[in-house]
Amino acid sequence: MTKLLNKMIRYPKTLLIILLLITLVFFWIMKKNTHMETDLDEYMPQDHPAFVYSNQAEEWFNIQDGIIIAIENKAGVYNSGTLQKVKDLTKNLEKMAEIEKDDVISLYTADNIVGSEYGLEVKSFYDRVPDTPQKLQEIQRNVRHNEMVFGRLVNEDETVTVIIAEIQDDVFSQKFYHQLLDLAKKFEGPEKLYVAGRPIVEGTMAYLGPRDMKRMVPIVIAVIIAVLLFVQRSVKASIFTLLVVLFSVIWAFGLMAAFGIPVYAVSTMIPVMLIAIGVADGIHLYSHLHIFLRIHPSADKKSAVTNMLQEMWKPVVMTSVTTAVGFISLLTSDVYPIKYFGLFTAFGVMAAMLFSLLLIPAGLMAFGLPRWRDKKSDNKEHENKFLTAIASQVVKHKTLTLFTTIIIITLSVFGTTKVWINSSFLDKFEKDSDIVRTDTFINKNFGGTSTLNVILDSDNPDAFKEPAVLKAVDRLQQNVENSLAVVGNSSALTDYLRRMNKVMHADSNQYNVIPDTKEMVAQYLLLYEMSGDPENLWKVVDYTYQKANLTFQLKSDNSIALNSTIAKIEEYLPALEKLGVTVNYAGSGYKGLVFTDLILIGQVKSLVLSLGIVILLLSLMFKKFLAGLIGAIPISITAIISFGVMGLFNIPLSTTTALLSSIAIGIGIDYAVHFIERYKIYAEETGNQQLTGQKTMQHSGRAITFNAFVVIAGFLVLLASVFPPNRALGALVSMNMFTSFLGTVSVMYLVLVISNIYFQKNSSKE
Amino acid sequence: MNSKKHFSVIFIAAFLLPLAIFGQETISGLEIIQKVYNRPTGEDQEGTLTMTLINSRGDQRVREIKQYIKDFGKEEKKIMFFIAPADVRNTSFMNWSYDEEGRDDDQWIYLPALKRVKRISSDSKSDYFMGSDFTYDDLGDRHPSEDTHKLLREEEIDGQPCYVVESIPKEEDYMYSRTVTWIIKNKWIGLKKEFYDEDGEHLKTLSVKEYEKIKEYWIITNSQMQNVQKEHTTDMKLADLKIDTGIPDTWFTERMMKRGI
Repeated sequence: MTKLLNKMIRYPKTLLIILLLITLVFFWIMKKNTHMETDLDEYMPQDHPAFVYSNQAEEWFNIQDGIIIAIENKAGVYNSGTLQKVKDLTKNLEKMAEIEKDDVISLYTADNIVGSEYGLEVKSFYDRVPDTPQKLQEIQRNVRHNEMVFGRLVNEDETVTVIIAEIQDDVFSQKFYHQLLDLAKKFEGPEKLYVAGRPIVEGTMAYLGPRDMKRMVPIVIAVIIAVLLFVQRSVKASIFTLLVVLFSVIWAFGLMAAFGIPVYAVSTMIPVMLIAIGVADGIHLYSHLHIFLRIHPSADKKSAVTNMLQEMWKPVVMTSVTTAVGFISLLTSDVYPIKYFGLFTAFGVMAAMLFSLLLIPAGLMAFGLPRWRDKKSDNKEHENKFLTAIASQVVKHKTLTLFTTIIIITLSVFGTTKVWINSSFLDKFEKDSDIVRTDTFINKNFGGTSTLNVILDSDNPDAFKEPAVLKAVDRLQQNVENSLAVVGNSSALTDYLRRMNKVMHADSNQYNVIPDTKEMVAQYLLLYEMSGDPENLWKVVDYTYQKANLTFQLKSDNSIALNSTIAKIEEYLPALEKLGVTVNYAGSGYKGLVFTDLILIGQVKSLVLSLGIVILLLSLMFKKFLAGLIGAIPISITAIISFGVMGLFNIPLSTTTALLSSIAIGIGIDYAVHFIERYKIYAEETGNQQLTGQKTMQHSGRAITFNAFVVIAGFLVLLASVFPPNRALGALVSMNMFTSFLGTVSVMYLVLVISNIYFQKNSSKE
Repeated sequence: MNSKKHFSVIFIAAFLLPLAIFGQETISGLEIIQKVYNRPTGEDQEGTLTMTLINSRGDQRVREIKQYIKDFGKEEKKIMFFIAPADVRNTSFMNWSYDEEGRDDDQWIYLPALKRVKRISSDSKSDYFMGSDFTYDDLGDRHPSEDTHKLLREEEIDGQPCYVVESIPKEEDYMYSRTVTWIIKNKWIGLKKEFYDEDGEHLKTLSVKEYEKIKEYWIITNSQMQNVQKEHTTDMKLADLKIDTGIPDTWFTERMMKRGI
């Protein structure tokens, strides 16, 4: 291997040019082919039964996410000016290319089902904007008396009215959002306008996250350069260490683009992983070179590089291969973007390995050895002393170290039981951001900005004309609405029937119930079809009355809200099942919930799997099963503490934070392998356990410290991010680096010592 | 009918017809529509109407209705009784429409489960009839004076020489911005009609599938209305047609609605 590598770097400049050219090609492909995927539906495994069903149901009932425009007039909405705005805005929205004409609901388009002295009327609340106080009062009265509209399109204070425009999943764009905002702005004064709804939250998040990353990453890299310069004390070394990372990122994204795979939100985690993992090899290589040159100050360039490769290629290859395999285990996930994330991070890790073994030595050969600026050698001594101190203290206070570790682990395991998954998009925004404030405002005044669709399904045609079934659905609606504060209101076929029953009985509240006979139900429905817009019915029931869509409006889109609502609904399942009705769920909120669960399950699965693979690989590499087990210590500690802290500090798991546990594998392996490899070499060299410990600390321990220091400093920059998920990311990456580092130099080292591994032969001789 | 055979005929006709009519005395669009409007259909009519509603997924709902229609001169009265589906059996519906301009139809419905006759008030004639793709206006005869008509061209469909007339409503906010009708020459039957919505986009197409000569009248017995925007289709079939049997005036009353047939 060393020979091969030496051969490769015989013509260092040619090699550098070749690598640069390949990188440029990848960069060109990346520039040309990369496109962002912001449609969240594309992230989800479309063949998963929950998604298949939900997508079907969305088609059956034309379930779409709604954009909500709220118009607030503190003096009340029932005046010509405000009503004119509702009408004009409705018409403007209907004309937008992204919105289907029939999908705009407002006071202007809503059906008013009323009883009059001679019968049933389904009419609009107004067509021409009323100009007399009498006419305005009549509208006000009509709305107040219509429970299908009051509290839903106009709030109970009568100061806010909403326009809901439902749109397809894939039409939302930032351009469209800004068009909406501009449109809303045009109608401001004296009314205030608010724009909200899931498509906006989703769309803005998909846009804001990567944009924030784009702004933060250069700063992260700058800080990493600065810290690299500080710890490596050489411009050349720092540049090449960083080039390894940058090239591997370009290769990974270039390859992705070459295969036509779009950039998903989780793909932004690839550079995060590669930065954290990729700098390690460079640091270890230069650190080794530095130590070698200190011991052999007269050594020439060629022999120094040869020694570096000879002694270091093995741990570099070992760490990279193991890390790559760890990431490849993500292929077991059901979620395609995560599969791609695993695959291309693995590729990036392998590319980084290639660059560490080719680019760095070739760079040394072509541009000469780094000129270390070792002015204050005492500073270094100090650092070494610090690590040596750790080594001796840890061994000295064995029990204390182990005890502390056990306490921390126990606490973390307890923390992991409190980890919760949050599929909320809204929770990812700042509490005082416009999006959250608008959402809060609408939730305060109306049923809620989030929806959960409950799909009721029966084998019998006309099942949803049966009073028994309808009454069971009605009971379910009432109880869920009344027992959960987070549920604002609900709508279903039952609401139409109760309304019609009431108005056909002279608006008597006594008849605000489901009719008693199937004939009555069927005849009301026929009546509605004859007088109103039957299209509205197909949003709540299917053509053959076998399936029904019950929509709950929730005041929060987080997992707790959704899960508690579902749990409450499930209480009514036995009653419905007795009537031959099965229950399923649909809608984007529900899909988000299932999706996050899938991510978490996949993540835990792959974590366990990769831990097994890592133990196996390390056992093979070190030819000792015990070494494999010991090598898994930093990974395990990092992962457990990572989840534990999230649980204890109430940081919910999300798509990005769940993926962070992968970093534990990458970093943990790096540290463990380098450390054990050195420990083994020194154990054979010295035969003295204490000396081995000290030497390992000065060699690998030093590099590990540098590595942790560099990456932590870099990622702490993200704490200044304006996008909360990116802040959490920065904090958690930094914490993972730190626990990996500490776990390696303390617990793992201690276990190495206690296990007496690599000293058995010596001790048996003694 | 074999449409392939007819293709060549249409093809030739499309080229020759404009030449043939050149220099002939031409009929105006308004005159054509007036002839359709005034085409005699008898004093009264009874029959069984089968209405099949088909949605975009191909789901079907079938309704069977017995209907009686009588022309009272200035008004036309219609009474309908549901036969199927069973849960709406004996539900009846009555409609009086008036020649008088600006006067809305009067409509009643009798729901046997409620045992009461109720008035339905429809805001406009743009409401859809019983969840079908026909509006009341599409079913009723729209008075020629309500639109401006223009003869676009003459062409053959299904081997029938037709006038193609475009009608643009005088009323500004009407549900259609324009309609185009293919009218069979000499029979004065609208064979096909295209409806365009407020934005000028194609909304619906009415195709007459069958018409019969009963007594001396041309009566449409099967027509289909397809809403191309909603992908929804309504098929209307008339069977057991009887014309001019002298249906008594007393049949078109609330009492009759309750009694049923």
